[in-house]
Amino acid sequence: MSYLNEVLAARELLANLTMREIRGKYSRTVFGQLWSLVNPLVLMLIYTLVFGFILKVQPAPGNPSGLDVFALWLLCALLPWTFFATVLTQTVGSLVTHANLIQKVYFTRIVLPLSVVGSSAYTWLFEMFILLVALTIGGARVLPWLPLLVLQMLLLALFAAGLALMAAIANVYFRDTQYIVGLLLQLWLYLTPIIYPLSLVTKQSDQVGPVLGTTVTIADIYSLNPMVHFVGIFRNLLYDNRAPEVAEWLICTAWAFASIVVGALIFRRNEMRLAELL
Amino acid sequence: MSEPAVRVEHVSKSFRLYHERNQTLKSAVMRRRVSVHDDFWALKDVSFEVPAGSTFGIIGSNGSGKSTLLKCLAKIYVPTSGAITYNGRLAAMLEVGSGFHPELSGRENVFLNGSILGMSRKEIVSKFDEIVEFSGVSEFIDQPVKNYSSGMYVRLGFSIAITVEPDILVVDEVLSVGDAEFQAKCFAKFREFRQSGRTVIMVSHSLDSITQMCQKAVWINRGTVMAVGDAAMTVKSYRDSLSGSL
Repeated sequence: MSYLNEVLAARELLANLTMREIRGKYSRTVFGQLWSLVNPLVLMLIYTLVFGFILKVQPAPGNPSGLDVFALWLLCALLPWTFFATVLTQTVGSLVTHANLIQKVYFTRIVLPLSVVGSSAYTWLFEMFILLVALTIGGARVLPWLPLLVLQMLLLALFAAGLALMAAIANVYFRDTQYIVGLLLQLWLYLTPIIYPLSLVTKQSDQVGPVLGTTVTIADIYSLNPMVHFVGIFRNLLYDNRAPEVAEWLICTAWAFASIVVGALIFRRNEMRLAELL
Repeated sequence: MSEPAVRVEHVSKSFRLYHERNQTLKSAVMRRRVSVHDDFWALKDVSFEVPAGSTFGIIGSNGSGKSTLLKCLAKIYVPTSGAITYNGRLAAMLEVGSGFHPELSGRENVFLNGSILGMSRKEIVSKFDEIVEFSGVSEFIDQPVKNYSSGMYVRLGFSIAITVEPDILVVDEVLSVGDAEFQAKCFAKFREFRQSGRTVIMVSHSLDSITQMCQKAVWINRGTVMAVGDAAMTVKSYRDSLSGSL
């Protein structure tokens, strides 16, 4: 609890560092913040072309929203994913790049990775706003689900922040971590139903049946991936416009809190020695 | 006698001297270990008190442990054993202008750096003019700091740190900052500090400025305290040891 107080006391610093990240990122570019939209848009075009048009992946229409647009269906899961991936790839090196600052000034170190989470969240909010507008134009009724959407975004941010704290510390000990994180994220993207619907996995799983004489199915193993549940809820809220199952919420909440608690504990144990370790 | 501003009690600090350090997973796995190291004691059982409202100097030869001691005082290192207790708010300035973002303007950097040093937004707003005035870069305050000359950079950094108005200020070799005019301003500021009952702890290689500015000093050699007390006396015994060894 006292640690939480310390972090709260540093909230102004956190806000200032976040502003520094945001302003520094696009300074001296002509399009500024608009650049942050380019990345998801290009990904959307590629995936829609390859998976929606060439491979003909056909997700079920939104129920009850009735939406049937591959690009929108994709973005509902892709934007949360890109936020998650950006947080991890950018925080993993945050302590190492600020080594100079850590060795010269005392402050609550945790604000360094958290400020990256903050600046990524800012970009994400911007993207999600555009998506909400696009969904509304497409005929979805997203406004009633807005409070739940904000809650789910918070949960994903907590989950990402916890992992980011662990990765940042690991990278201080082993500089390999940053490359491993990049690789794992690529793998993780394909293990999560973002560019294909979850129904394809359950269909395969039903055909194969229980594996190796146990009662465990492929779908069971597949759903160990927390991102399956996070992404599912985002699609429920945004694309289908219906309430997600309570069990799914509980799974996401459990993952989010487990991640942030473990992350904060690991960070705290190593924080004191950062100046020497770097 | 009043409460000391800082009390250093039996502080020791060891570092690992790595003969082999495997910072990549491959080498850690291949060599089956993360590191091979010896402990090196940079500070051994250091104890002293810094009286409140004084300017306190730390002297010693290169590699004597001054900087380690200063970093322990600035809370950047945590002592391996022993404790340091503070009586008041601490600000440390081991390198001026660290934490400046080159692309941001001087104004934005004042707010950023001020909050890193522990000032609230309100405090910075109220002292903003004073900071800019002291640094003498007011004409360029809205320019990105990457266009600053090194002197302007350092002066702005120093002005922020000194305006934090801590009860205890820890500084490293700041007397080499800026031109003679700016140095004179700094001296005056330190005097003002002392008169308002604040404590300054400084490291310097310039023994003359230590005798000039400090009332008390500690002499560190090879991680142990050789002498502590009146600045003039401490500097004298340090000088004697130097001339004796030559």
